[in-house]
Amino acid sequence: MNELIPQFNWHDVVVSPWTDGFSSTIWIVLMGAMVATACGLVGNYLILRRMALVGDAISHSVLPGLAIAFLLTGSRGSGVMFFGALLAGVATTLLIELIHKKSRVKQDAAIGIAFTSLFAIGVILISVYAASGKVDLDQECVLYGEIGLVWLEEQTVIAGATIGPESVVRMTAIALITVVLVVLFYKELLVSSFDPGLASSLGINAGLVHYALMSWLSVVVVSAFESVGAILVIAMLILPGATASLLTYRLPRVMALTVLHGVISSVGGLHLALWLGCSTAGAMVVVGSGLFICAWIFSPSQGLLRRWLVKVEDAPLDPTISTKPMKEAHL
Amino acid sequence: MRLLAPARWSMVLGLCLFAAFGVVDAHAARIGDLSETRIWEQAIRFFSLRDPAVRYAALGAILLGTSCGLLGSFIVVRKMALVGDTLSHAVLPGVAVGFLWNMSKDPIAIFIGAVAAGLLGVLFVNWIQQTTRLKEDTALGLALAGFFAVGICLVTMMQRLPTGSKSGIDKFLFGQAAALGAADVKLMAVVTLLSVATIFLFYKEFLVASFDPGFAKASGHSVKVAHYTLMWLLAFSIVISLQAVGVVLVSAMLITPAAAAYLLTDRMHRMVLYSMAFGIASGLVGAFISFLRPNLPTGPFMVLAASLIFAVAFVAAPRHGIVVRWWRQRSQSRRVQRENTLKSIYHVLEGRSFQQEGVTVEELAARRRETVEEIRQQAADLRAHELATFDKHDGVIYLTPEGWQRAAAIVRNHRLWELYLTNAAQIAPDHVHEDAEKIEHVLGEEVVRQLERKLAFAKEDPHGRLIPDVATIQRGSGPRREAPSGYRRSE
Amino acid sequence: MVESRITKLPSQAPPLEIHDLTVAYHKKPVLWGIDLVVPPGKLIGIIGPNGAGKSTLIKAALGLIPGSSGWVKIFGESGRKGLKRVGYVPQRESVDWDFPVNVMDVVLMGRYGRLRLMQRPNAHDREVAKRALEMVHMLPFANRQIANLSGGQQQRVFLARALAQESDLYFMDEPFAGVDAATESAIVGILQELKQKGKTIMVVHHDLPTARNYFDMLLLLNMRVVAFGPTEEVFTYELLQQTYGGRLTILAEVAEAVRQRGA
Repeated sequence: MNELIPQFNWHDVVVSPWTDGFSSTIWIVLMGAMVATACGLVGNYLILRRMALVGDAISHSVLPGLAIAFLLTGSRGSGVMFFGALLAGVATTLLIELIHKKSRVKQDAAIGIAFTSLFAIGVILISVYAASGKVDLDQECVLYGEIGLVWLEEQTVIAGATIGPESVVRMTAIALITVVLVVLFYKELLVSSFDPGLASSLGINAGLVHYALMSWLSVVVVSAFESVGAILVIAMLILPGATASLLTYRLPRVMALTVLHGVISSVGGLHLALWLGCSTAGAMVVVGSGLFICAWIFSPSQGLLRRWLVKVEDAPLDPTISTKPMKEAHL
Repeated sequence: MRLLAPARWSMVLGLCLFAAFGVVDAHAARIGDLSETRIWEQAIRFFSLRDPAVRYAALGAILLGTSCGLLGSFIVVRKMALVGDTLSHAVLPGVAVGFLWNMSKDPIAIFIGAVAAGLLGVLFVNWIQQTTRLKEDTALGLALAGFFAVGICLVTMMQRLPTGSKSGIDKFLFGQAAALGAADVKLMAVVTLLSVATIFLFYKEFLVASFDPGFAKASGHSVKVAHYTLMWLLAFSIVISLQAVGVVLVSAMLITPAAAAYLLTDRMHRMVLYSMAFGIASGLVGAFISFLRPNLPTGPFMVLAASLIFAVAFVAAPRHGIVVRWWRQRSQSRRVQRENTLKSIYHVLEGRSFQQEGVTVEELAARRRETVEEIRQQAADLRAHELATFDKHDGVIYLTPEGWQRAAAIVRNHRLWELYLTNAAQIAPDHVHEDAEKIEHVLGEEVVRQLERKLAFAKEDPHGRLIPDVATIQRGSGPRREAPSGYRRSE
Repeated sequence: MVESRITKLPSQAPPLEIHDLTVAYHKKPVLWGIDLVVPPGKLIGIIGPNGAGKSTLIKAALGLIPGSSGWVKIFGESGRKGLKRVGYVPQRESVDWDFPVNVMDVVLMGRYGRLRLMQRPNAHDREVAKRALEMVHMLPFANRQIANLSGGQQQRVFLARALAQESDLYFMDEPFAGVDAATESAIVGILQELKQKGKTIMVVHHDLPTARNYFDMLLLLNMRVVAFGPTEEVFTYELLQQTYGGRLTILAEVAEAVRQRGA
């Protein structure tokens, strides 16, 4: 056990990254924060619309899209990768709908079948062609990414000024665009998530909002993929929003806290990974989960501590009783 | 011996699949190292089970296919597919702790650790739902990602250790059937036997608790016990499958074979049997393929095999497959077209007070406002179904007795329905025609009898046209001597 | 069928006009050949047994469910243009009450129909929302999160949202379900006020005795229009028998046959 958990050396773990290793640290932290921001903001809408696991599905199924795009074009250029992954994301949504609308298989099983099949194809492509050197993503990197290497990438140069590593610049741009989109279309997103019937009766096209959201989700997921891998994207999508929603009832504050959560997990995760010598993305999610648990226990309005002190009644413990509200309106 | 049928089917499917994969892999083999032996030779070597490693792998595949297929059936019908997915990811930290226990691959330690982690994850999900306003899907995603992240951290930390890269834990991510040893297979056998026995003995309790918990409770069965038992067995079957399929994809082995079985039958016990058969087939095929080249992960190939089986079931299933449904819809719309033609022929004849038996192509074309060519095709179709005779040279159509009955019946349906809508449902007379155009084709004989009785065997429809009665239908299309009659009132 | 006796003023289209509307729900016909001309300035109750298609009628009128034949016009316009003058209070179960919005946020949503794509609600919109909240006596609760409201309070918030839409035609789907008596009479009072101002209100209602007292006109619905007219004329034993008597089993059977075989 002693070998597993190294000695905690304050200087090495906390101080030195910001002094000696600043030039690499800053990019890693920035990348993590941007990933968490973009994913967290979009993920909030997934939570509100109860589509959290559709986000999980899309994050898995972009893999074959990336692999095929790479194999066909031989390049890892952003445009090609995006396109391949966007197609894969759309293909997933369509495949899920095909399975559960055209047969009696229900939606949950349809999601599971669709994304595991696509993910399996992706893994096969990678492992079969990895040996021949054609694909340079390895299997484990697919699962949890390698954000720690982001500062080693080529630097983007715009108008003669060197800005930063390519993927960081790209992710920052996407995060900023996400913020802008969320602010501009705030009310359309709000009303179509809250009450689709009202939205339609007000003239807002709820179906269009849905597909637009799915498409932008695919874009965000693809950008985050290389840093955090397939499985942890789902954490980046819903951890910040879930934590924030335990702390406040107002949606704008939820959005702000989401971004804050992202920054803290990012910094905390970096230091944790340095100390333990483990995957950086994994560490970021662990820190984020830690924040969630703190919020869960200490939340002034919904926390476990408050419930214990005030003896609030829990929902029934019987898992066979559904606690979902009835959604099917009476005829 | 009903058991043989699904087993036979899955063997056939399995052979087709590995033949297909053989082709695919032959191409792949040219890119990497050229293998010395050819596909068929390798297949024979695999299935003759000469190597002990192969024996263990094949046995392991069979056991996990059985176990996952069995539990997966319940997961699919209870719509808990995503719970299964979360559970299968949440076990990772437990696997890591199991490795750390003895710093080696100890099957028992890993089993206990993984089951504990998985069940902890599920408890976590329930607890979140009860104490916060977060919904089920969010809670599942949080547990899935949170536990998996802890697991990934542990795995990467272990890989740093000097003994780390040899521990074999990385094989648990995507599965490696070749790594199965005697101890592993023994554990799998015990657990599978336990699951099968439990489900078999308490089958009806599990069935009613899954289908209708409220009723089950009211009948005195304990729904909670059934639910928790299923969760335990589910955790077991996930954990024993981990080494072969891998953490990431094991949920597919639960869902996909069961979903394929779901499309093929309406009876639960058959679904369970088919599901196990498909699970075994996918497992064997996946294991075989991963043996073809060194360092191929097993999990993805098993999943792909299962998905192919699902795809075949989706397309070709006898009652619910899309090919069959498409075919049924097509023949339905063909039938409707034929009936519409028959109806028009009847109208033409009626317009002439049934004085002549034959209807010319031109008359029909004028009536239906279509071209003569189209009418000829329709007439040929009627002839093919023995509903009319059609002489191409003089272009006259005569209804056969069966054709006449069908035509009169459709017209009767249409007019009865119009009458019903106007009288009993008080809908305006000018609104009923379009409805009747659609409904006339789907009224069954029993409903027609009910309508007739309800409308007191009325003679005329809302537009004053006669409703054909039984006598008219039986009479045939021959020229009339007396005026046609509708129903006669019994008073 | 009792005919409505209102004469149409040539310059003004009726608030709601439906012609030969047939609507299918999951491929099964639920409404058959509906004809309806609604006069302005009336408080109209829609009553009928469960599964009669009452909610479906409202949703089809709003364009939320497509009809398989016939048409609907609101103030003489069809499609989205007609919706601009309509206010909608859906059933309470249709919404997730854990959503992180407060009472004021929900009422402001009623103003969204008047705002363009990226436009924000302005001070005037907030004024209208405040006045709507005042009408339903919920202004003190403006900052409360909606999960912390009782059933009656939630219903009043929904009503305020519809009032904020400043519409001329209102559709309400079971607004009195699960609501305490005080709230119920308060809501009825507000509906009466709206009617005095010349608005037209159509309410799906489930309780027969109160239907007689609350509404000027009644629409008796059971898969098709049984009767539509002033309450005193329509609220008769015979017509109610026809509506609730369940003598249309054949209609239901055929609807099922259509669903299975797809006509």
